[in-house]
Order: sequence, then C-alpha cells, then structure tokens
Amino acid sequence: MVTPAVTLRPAFAVALGTAQLSPCERLNRELEALFLAREDDEHRNPMPSHIPQAETFESRFNLFRWPEPCVQELRKFVLDTVVATVREATTLAPGDFARLKLHNHTWFHITRPAGSFISHNHPMASWSAVYCVRAGEPVPGEPGSGVLRLLDPRAGAGAYADPANTRLHPAFAVTPIDFRLTDGQIVVFPSYLFHEVTPFYGRDTRITVATNCWFA
Amino acid sequence: MSTPAAHVVPIFATPFGVVTLPDAATLNPALAALFTARTSPQWREANGAPGALTFRSRDDLLEWPEEPVRRVMHGILAGVRTVAGSISELTEREFAALQLEARAWFTLVRPDGCVPSTSYPNTSWLAVYCVTAAEASQARVDSGVLRLHESRLLTMFQDPTQGGVRLPYRSGHCTWRPVPGEMAVFPAALTHEIALVRSSGMLALISVRARFVGSGGAWMPPW
Repeated sequence: MVTPAVTLRPAFAVALGTAQLSPCERLNRELEALFLAREDDEHRNPMPSHIPQAETFESRFNLFRWPEPCVQELRKFVLDTVVATVREATTLAPGDFARLKLHNHTWFHITRPAGSFISHNHPMASWSAVYCVRAGEPVPGEPGSGVLRLLDPRAGAGAYADPANTRLHPAFAVTPIDFRLTDGQIVVFPSYLFHEVTPFYGRDTRITVATNCWFA
Repeated sequence: MSTPAAHVVPIFATPFGVVTLPDAATLNPALAALFTARTSPQWREANGAPGALTFRSRDDLLEWPEEPVRRVMHGILAGVRTVAGSISELTEREFAALQLEARAWFTLVRPDGCVPSTSYPNTSWLAVYCVTAAEASQARVDSGVLRLHESRLLTMFQDPTQGGVRLPYRSGHCTWRPVPGEMAVFPAALTHEIALVRSSGMLALISVRARFVGSGGAWMPPW
C-alpha cells in the first residue's frame, strides 16, 4: 500500500486564549473583600437572563465602571487579555484593529456550595472571558466540582462513533473542554460558545469575573 | 394597506415523547428497593462519572431476572417503540419488522447530586423513566429536572422580535420534571442533564439507550 503524503490541519477551529495574572494574590484579596461587601440587592443584577439561584450571586453588568483601584487594575488586565487574544486571531491590520472601540458588559459571580450556572452563550457579543478571583476548595471525590465547561459547538458530530473517530488528538476531538480555574487565571473564548459552571461542592466560595465584549 | 395573512409553521422540530406506564404504582416500590440495595461497587458502571451523590449502575438491566425489572423494561421498550413509530413514515408492517436493540441502567441521584450533561453515540432514542422523584424545591425551580439543551443552530444576532418569541420557536433549553411512572423519550444525540437535586428525597431513574435494526441485518457500530 502506498502511504500518501497528507497535510492535516484543524478546520473550523475555535480560538481559545488563556493567561495568568502573576502575582495575583493582593489584587484577588482586594477584589474578594469588595465583592463580598457588595453582595446585596443594590448590586445584584436586576434582570437576570436565567433562573436565579440562592447559591449564586450575580452582580450588575457595570463592574468595570466601578472606580475602585482594584477593579480598574483588573479591568486593564482582563481587557488587555481579550485584545491580545483577538489580535492573535484576527486578520485585521494592526492599525485597523487599533481604531476599534472595545465595549463590555462585566459582572462578578459569587458561588457557594451547590451553586452552578446553566449552559448558555452570549448573543450580541463577539468575545467573552472569565477571570478567577477565587477558585474555591477542591473536593476529593468530586472532580467535576465548580468546573467551567466549554461545550463542543459541533452538535451531533459525536452521534456516530467508531474506533477511528473517538481517539483523536485534542485539536480534533469532539468533546467538551473543562477548566478547573486557578486563582488569577483568565480564559477568553468566542461568545457563541455554549458554556456552563458545574455544581460547586466546596465549603467556601468560588468567585469569578465574567465579561462580554464587542467592538465597533 | 391590508395586513397580509401569514402561515407560520415550526420546522426543524425535535420529537419529545412522554409515556405513562400502566403498572408503575405496583412496580416502582419494588424497583426502588431493589436499586437501593444494589449500590455497591460491583453494580456500579466502571466508567461512570465519579461522585458520592450520584450512582449509575452497569447498563445490563435488560439481563436482570427480577420480575419487576423485566416488567418495567417491557413497558419502557414498548413506549420507545410507540414514540418512534408515531412519527415514522414506515408502514406499520415495516416498522414492526425492525429489531429493537437496547441497553439500560439505573441512576440514583441524592440531594445535591446531579447527572452532568451528556449524549449517547450510536443510539437513536433515549428513554428516561422515573421510579421515584425527589420533592419539589421552592428555592430552585429546576431542582432534579431533565434538561435538554438547545440543539438548533442559533444566530448570535438578537433584536426584540427574536428575543421574545413563543414556543416552539423560542430558543433555549427545555426541561421535563420527572414524575414517578412517566418516561421521556427523545433523540439520544441531544445533550441533556439531570439538574442538581436541591430538595430531600431521592431521584431514581431508569435510562435506556435504544436503536432499531432493519430486518436485512444492516451493520451497526458496536456500542
């Protein structure tokens, strides 16, 4: 049998950016204290898009307009990471990209034991990101606790399975991708991607900041 | 100018059947007792999701000799046939000639347990039968529901007319609250989950993967 030369490449790929804020301890401490102090009705999202849970607090979407230095420091890191991700993924010329104005909706989540967030995506936005302020304690025997799960957008592609399509390299695998976020980690992904947070079983709190971005 | 008459129909619809088993009141207590007694490691599915709050058995329920299991499996498979047949364009005779292949297991979900989102390859229909349901939760309306994830290709663009449409056109997930004696039947490729149970009581379910094989012995991938 002749072995033909094959050029293999990922098609229909999803751009996924990750970065780590280092050091992050001081900033995360300040953010945590601020968020816990404002976990109240005044700062709660008045129009949640999903059924609210007592175990998960969602703030209003104006977080990055807060003047507190720790919030503004986080804003710079998060939006710079989004921009860096898009710059890597886009074919726009640097000058054209630099002229775009970046808009965002940004909020925080405080998740307590048994809190979760149903799978969803974000219409009318192009890029989304999740930053981890506090990962929450890992729970022995519950590896799926508090995981950020990105669902594979190729719905139905895994409905037929045989040995030749179930053990593919990660770039080609049809499977959800789980992130056990660590303090200071940020994940950037296209807003069309469905994602969820699985039930959190730690005894403490899991705190994240999420942003939706659009450019004009 | 007169208002034009519009004819609007749902397209790309997904079948979702609900079937009530007639013998449920008799069978369910016996099934619940049997399943509760078989939660030791030897009965656990080896590749099941770990976690202390949810138990998934091996998928060999169809081979169990116990009478309540055999009777409920008979009813479940008959229900799957009914749902699949109700939307099939095959003739009754052609449909009756199909051989039904199935694998079945039970799942026990305790308070704060859940079944993560999943779907099943090489399978056409999934049936989820409720043996016992946890109590309803006042605090979390989706406690213990079967949630079917939105599967249609969605637009990322929204305006007020797209954000506020009614069923069956509204985009979003669908939920079904398990009721003892009832089962849901839907395409197995749909991503679905059992949402976290946030109340007392235990949710006991029987799940059945099913597919039909033509009388000509068409090839089917192993499952």
